[in-house]
Amino acid sequence: MKKITRRAFSVLLLAALVIVGLTTYVLRYIDHGADWALSFNRLNSGSSGELLDRNGVVLASFSADENLYASDALTRTSNYHVTGDYWGRTSTGILSTYWNKMQGFSLLTGTTRSTAATTRLYIDAGLNNTAYAALNGQKGCVLVTNYRTGELVCMVSAPAIDPADQNAVPGEGAFINRALSSVFVPGSIFKLVTAAAAIETVPNIEERRFYCEGKGNIAGVEINCSGEHYTQTFEQALANSCNVAFSKIATLVGQDNMVKYVRTFGFLDSHRLGDIPTAAGSYPLDFVGDPELGWSGIGQSTDLVNPYAMLRFVSAVGNGGVLVEPTMIQGGKPPVKSRFMEAQTADRLKQMMAYNVSYAYDGDFRFTGLKLCAKTGTAELGGDLTSHAWFVGFLDDEEHPYAFVVLVENGGGGLTVASPIAYRVLKHCMQIE
Amino acid sequence: MSASQLFLEYMLRASKYALILLSLAIIIRCIRSMLREQYEPETWAYIRTGDGRFPVNHWENILGRAASSDVRIDRKGVSRTHAVLTRNDRGIWQVYDIFARSGVWVNGVRVGEHGLRVNDRDVINLGGVCVRFQEISPEKREKLEEKRSVPGRGVSPAVTLLELTLFQLFLLMQHAILSKQEHLPAIALGFAALAIMQWSCYNAMRVIGRSGFEVETLAFYLSTLGMSVAATSTPDDMYKQILLTLTGVILFLIGGWWLRSLHRTSTMRVPVAAAALALLAVNAVFSDVILGARNWLIIGGYSFQPSELVKVAYVYVGAATLEHLFRERNLYSFVAFSAMCVLALALIGDFGTALVFFVCFLVISFMRSGSIATVILSISGAVIAGLLAVTARPYIGKRFAIWGHVWEDIYDKGYQQVRAMSAAAAGGLFGKGAGAGWLKDIVAGNTDMVFAVICEEQGLIIALCMCLAVLTLAFFAVRSARFGRSAYYSIAACAATTMMLTQLALNVFGSLDILPFTGVTFPFVSRGGSSLLSCWMMMAFIKGADNRREASFAVRPGERIRNAPPPEEPEEEEADDA
Repeated sequence: MKKITRRAFSVLLLAALVIVGLTTYVLRYIDHGADWALSFNRLNSGSSGELLDRNGVVLASFSADENLYASDALTRTSNYHVTGDYWGRTSTGILSTYWNKMQGFSLLTGTTRSTAATTRLYIDAGLNNTAYAALNGQKGCVLVTNYRTGELVCMVSAPAIDPADQNAVPGEGAFINRALSSVFVPGSIFKLVTAAAAIETVPNIEERRFYCEGKGNIAGVEINCSGEHYTQTFEQALANSCNVAFSKIATLVGQDNMVKYVRTFGFLDSHRLGDIPTAAGSYPLDFVGDPELGWSGIGQSTDLVNPYAMLRFVSAVGNGGVLVEPTMIQGGKPPVKSRFMEAQTADRLKQMMAYNVSYAYDGDFRFTGLKLCAKTGTAELGGDLTSHAWFVGFLDDEEHPYAFVVLVENGGGGLTVASPIAYRVLKHCMQIE
Repeated sequence: MSASQLFLEYMLRASKYALILLSLAIIIRCIRSMLREQYEPETWAYIRTGDGRFPVNHWENILGRAASSDVRIDRKGVSRTHAVLTRNDRGIWQVYDIFARSGVWVNGVRVGEHGLRVNDRDVINLGGVCVRFQEISPEKREKLEEKRSVPGRGVSPAVTLLELTLFQLFLLMQHAILSKQEHLPAIALGFAALAIMQWSCYNAMRVIGRSGFEVETLAFYLSTLGMSVAATSTPDDMYKQILLTLTGVILFLIGGWWLRSLHRTSTMRVPVAAAALALLAVNAVFSDVILGARNWLIIGGYSFQPSELVKVAYVYVGAATLEHLFRERNLYSFVAFSAMCVLALALIGDFGTALVFFVCFLVISFMRSGSIATVILSISGAVIAGLLAVTARPYIGKRFAIWGHVWEDIYDKGYQQVRAMSAAAAGGLFGKGAGAGWLKDIVAGNTDMVFAVICEEQGLIIALCMCLAVLTLAFFAVRSARFGRSAYYSIAACAATTMMLTQLALNVFGSLDILPFTGVTFPFVSRGGSSLLSCWMMMAFIKGADNRREASFAVRPGERIRNAPPPEEPEEEEADDA
């Protein structure tokens, strides 16, 4: 009988195979369960749903029979990077990332809904149209968020594509949402970061004077400037966007502190807009020496910034140092708030950005009707490449508390190219309910 | 949503969690009782050697020098496996010489091919080494029995059964919320009938002093899920399902009672084999084609699958007592019988069932012969036969071609699998509730894709519990082999669970595209009368091997059968029982 007992273990081999098979299934279920469930249950349960912007404009609607997009081509195109498409060519669109929830599926509860589901966004589709039109065929992106509530009202990346047009020829990077998935050389907008670090770490920064005669040098290495600014205060240096002054300020802050603040402000991290991950930026982390540190302080060197990360920064400055994380989909958890920088730092930065607009950009004339705090950036790329044009900032306006980032890839000057786009978009923002 | 709708919604949700908790509780309690608690072997006699006294724990024992011997006599002159010592139903002991080079004698008489009777205090000479056989009086045996553990002390079977009853109640509640009102009386009757059957069985076991009820509990648990599948897919046939379950339980009881006598059981093997072959022959000639396989006999309006009954017969015939195992010609006749069964099934196109038989054949032949070579040879033979089958029947080749690519052809060859996977995933972990699914209405949903139906309606956790129940029965059969009286019972229990495990694997993994889709039933849960009957009969084999003290109605207590007065025991031997 002992022999038989031993041979009986052959049954356990079969049992082990069954267990392996069941484990395989469970793992596959975790991986593909949503795809499986949604492929037939929509047909069988007749579930349907739609994706609406903040004003009820239909961006996408689906039922058992058909999948539709917005009714007009401009809305479809300018909102393409918000909605994505039904076959997932852009992975960051709502139709890709939020599909399961829109359909009503989770691994725990399976399909949970059999009736029409409406998903409403904070995005203003009309505002996206304005932004897309303002970009006027240039590559780039526009982001606008309400810095008090975190409502993301505008997100446009160009070029985009009309998802309903089967024959549309996609432009360069049409399936990449530049606002979330790309990083760019920041140029002078990065001086805001250096300034914030300086306010908190350089004790007598306001008393210091910075001398510029069109160029300066740090440890024997020459730094070019856009003009001859002579003696300037800290505030004037930002308004002049003076490279000589800010490379000096970066060395005063020191690399350790610069890295610390760049990290604290989230420029090195990947963030999440809902379920959508964003690209992480970069900054020289290993010891580089003063000249390179100087360049990094004015947004050159190896600095790379993700537009969404920049939006978080200006949004926090606008909101007195408290960041309200942007959200795109309505009806979720209450917005996440966190202390981003000291209130005094944010206030001082705000003053400086307001001074920028009135002193350097001739704000009353150029941005009529807006209480604007902003900073331009013209990021030099080296070689023959045209600079990236940036314009970032916020409205110091309780009625219209919007923070924004405008980027035109290889667009040229920040003030000439990016700021008019921002102006058109912000003017439209004034009409948002 | 109105207040009453909201209330029903909450009731439904609560019932889902309750069903899962009860399922887990039932399975865990059965596992604890069947697989975790310690049980001790029986003692039937002693063998006295120069080294001391060794207990004889089975009705069939190998005497020899090898470590795998049941009574190890590690002396020069004794072969590794030298002799077999058996006891029959009537308490008569015999010794067989299994080709030991040096021979076996009892009281100086040489043991021949047919064995020789051994009585108390007889001297057995194993190639020159003499040992003394010593019987145990019924009184002494009773004393020894009292030292063994009784099942049900740690884990009360009544509590488990109560949990199962609650499980049925919650399932009925889900049907009441989600199924059509017109079917509700029949569905309620179905679950009530199950509850009555299981408590009647339990009480009957208590009356005859049996306390092992885990096998029945698991079978009723699976039958409950089967009842729910019937209620959701074919509510018009509920009365039939009730009747079939009742018949199944009765056949289980008869089968268990039949197995009590080893003599009766083993002498009937040849007639059963003949009947099985005859049934397959009739089937091959007269059967109708349903769903690709010509495996249905229609008698008086009722269709039934003869191959399901042959499964039971196959296990019945395939198992053998220990003294049979050492005769090669016995194995050959079994191989021939198996070949005929598998061939008959292949001939009628039921390749899924043929595969189930084949895997069962592998396990039985390995348990009988211990020869890996036989297994490898058989598998290679089967692979060749399989290739031939694929060339002869192109539709089987098609099934293999779509395997792993079902999503590429969702309207034809992958039709069933993708719908099964979709519905299964739609159920999530907790399910949509009994009666709420749609997969049941797809062709063969309630049979070949029943795992997915349960996933959809009851959720993945209960579907896994369902598999765990079958696995538990298999582990229990393996564990029971250690205490088995006869190799026959151990082999039969293992073979029965092998059939169930193979069916489970082909059914579940076939519908989920992990294996090619073969279309066999899930034990107890798939709709199908013949299958349900055969599953219940298979349970009898597991009960027959359950040799824990006072556990199984299919095992006869061994004492008080012989009429002869017990021999006086010398005083000195009372001391060393251990």
